[in-house]
Amino acid sequence: MMRNDPIKHVFIWPAVLVVLAISIFPLIYSLTTSFLSYRLIPPIPPRVVWLGNYATLLQEPRFWSALFTTTLIAFIAVGLQYAIGFGVALALNARVPGERLFRVALLLPMLLAPVAVALVARMIFNPTMGPLNQFLAKFGLANLPFLTNGHWALACIIAVEVWQWTPFIILMMLAGLQTLPEDVYEAAELENASAWQQFWGITFPMMLPISAAVVFIRLIESYKIMDTVFVMTGGGPGVDTETLTLFAYQEGFKKFNLGYTSALSFLFLIAITIIGVTYLALLRPHLEKRR
Amino acid sequence: MSGHGLTGLSPWSRRLVAVGVLVWCLITVFPLYWVVVTAFKTPPGVVGGPTYLPFIDFTPTLQPFIDLYQGIRGEFFRTFLNSTIVGLSAAAIATAIGAMAAYALVRFEFKVRLGAGLVFFLLALGGYLLFNATFGFTRPQALLLAFPIALIAAVVANRLPLPGPILGNEDILFWFVSQRMFPPIVTAFALYLLYSEIGRLGFQLIDSFVGLTLCYVAFSLPIVVWLMRDFFEAVPIEVEEAAMVDNVPSWRIFIGIVVPMSMNGLLATFMITLAFVWNEFLFALFLTNSRWQTLPILVAGQNSQRGDEWWAISAAALVAIVPMMIMAGLLSRMMRSGLLLGAIK
Repeated sequence: MMRNDPIKHVFIWPAVLVVLAISIFPLIYSLTTSFLSYRLIPPIPPRVVWLGNYATLLQEPRFWSALFTTTLIAFIAVGLQYAIGFGVALALNARVPGERLFRVALLLPMLLAPVAVALVARMIFNPTMGPLNQFLAKFGLANLPFLTNGHWALACIIAVEVWQWTPFIILMMLAGLQTLPEDVYEAAELENASAWQQFWGITFPMMLPISAAVVFIRLIESYKIMDTVFVMTGGGPGVDTETLTLFAYQEGFKKFNLGYTSALSFLFLIAITIIGVTYLALLRPHLEKRR
Repeated sequence: MSGHGLTGLSPWSRRLVAVGVLVWCLITVFPLYWVVVTAFKTPPGVVGGPTYLPFIDFTPTLQPFIDLYQGIRGEFFRTFLNSTIVGLSAAAIATAIGAMAAYALVRFEFKVRLGAGLVFFLLALGGYLLFNATFGFTRPQALLLAFPIALIAAVVANRLPLPGPILGNEDILFWFVSQRMFPPIVTAFALYLLYSEIGRLGFQLIDSFVGLTLCYVAFSLPIVVWLMRDFFEAVPIEVEEAAMVDNVPSWRIFIGIVVPMSMNGLLATFMITLAFVWNEFLFALFLTNSRWQTLPILVAGQNSQRGDEWWAISAAALVAIVPMMIMAGLLSRMMRSGLLLGAIK
């Protein structure tokens, strides 16, 4: 039953006001700035260039490389997180031995500061003194250029992302698995369906809506990646691991190229909206069929 | 809860699955173990190559922590306090006003015309341009003038029979949650410029408690509203209806009945928000520079300051990590099955 009482305005307005003030205003501010040529260092008075900043950006190879790097990190990392996370959640749900012990340890990484995690990763990936190097040296693979070669550095960043955020998928998938109805499995059991058939025939389709939501959340969050890269490689070597947020930070905070940075952040917003909408559009037919 | 999904497996493959989980668990725990032992190493214990077991491989020492406390590598003690103060206040404020909004969205009916929303946006944008370009106000002044005008006009417009769809509670909730989709760099950068221009008017927001907390409250609100809505929906409506028969006012129903009944949910939400604020890097990077610097910024700085002094880097990372480790323990106790379930539906 919905009530209607004037006091409802007292309840909702503080939150609405804070969110409006902090999110809509910067939006208007940077939208208008993105049409200006406006630098603080060296100081140039603002001049209206309309879509000039956007045109420059779209011709800038560094922008496309940052977009590609970010997309690569987001998709590979989220794919791995989903595969590992779903697997571990299935195992935990099936009460593998020692399951209670695993739970706290498995949830830990996602609550830790990405900056601190990246620092630890730098030590572990150290090519001479790190424990990973010692381990790989036993297989004759000593002194790999973990963070100084573009491809390796990208792989290391993805590994850290997977380490940190798989717990989120485990948590959500486990919660989802616990709501699945028991009787469907009993029926499948009677028909002698193998575990493999049960997974693809029952578990996976029934978990699809939750999977879609969880992957969506992680994908959007992964596009914002900045702190891990900032600490681990600083975008290097060269600009091989530079992500969109890091690129915007370099342009805005180091060069104070305001109009350009505002245009960049808007292109970022447009890119993330396109990805989000495409993702939802692709999944919608699958989700509605199951209802 | 039986183990469906694995029941059809042979004992041998069950063992294989258990080994797989164990391997993942080791991968998860090893870096944590590594940072803990490294923080207690002496410089020779680090440079000599990887060592793992205290007292056997190396002699543990507390020196890195003493160095940190004495401020040899930056003002750790004050930064820790900053993080604690900002984290606790932002999480408390966000949980309080977010819970109120979530309750309102669950129990009261709201109708917002899409037209009124458009009126707000166009007037805010147009008013800002008008005041700034035509009347020569500074940018923050123009924004501060346009905001109330647009807001009042939107509230009035909501009463008029404008054409276009009427948005309900679900849409308002979606609006809240969609704020989370925004790349934070869009806001962080604009907020930095806005704050510094307001600072030029004489009200310091950059590197201040108010500025940082306000921004964190706004950015935590979407999660709070999203999580709390499910907890409030689980509160049985009969209790509230009984109180309404006795003419108890709505705010007393909320504070006296609903809040105590969803205490667990509030606590969990508070902790999740606290973790989010505690770990946040980007906004702190833009909005602070010395006085109100938070831990992630100082920890990130350890990297470049002195090269490979791993004992100190580990101690610094540990200071940022340990409070959240303790919280993970607390949270996992509350994380009975299904606590977060509602959130993903």
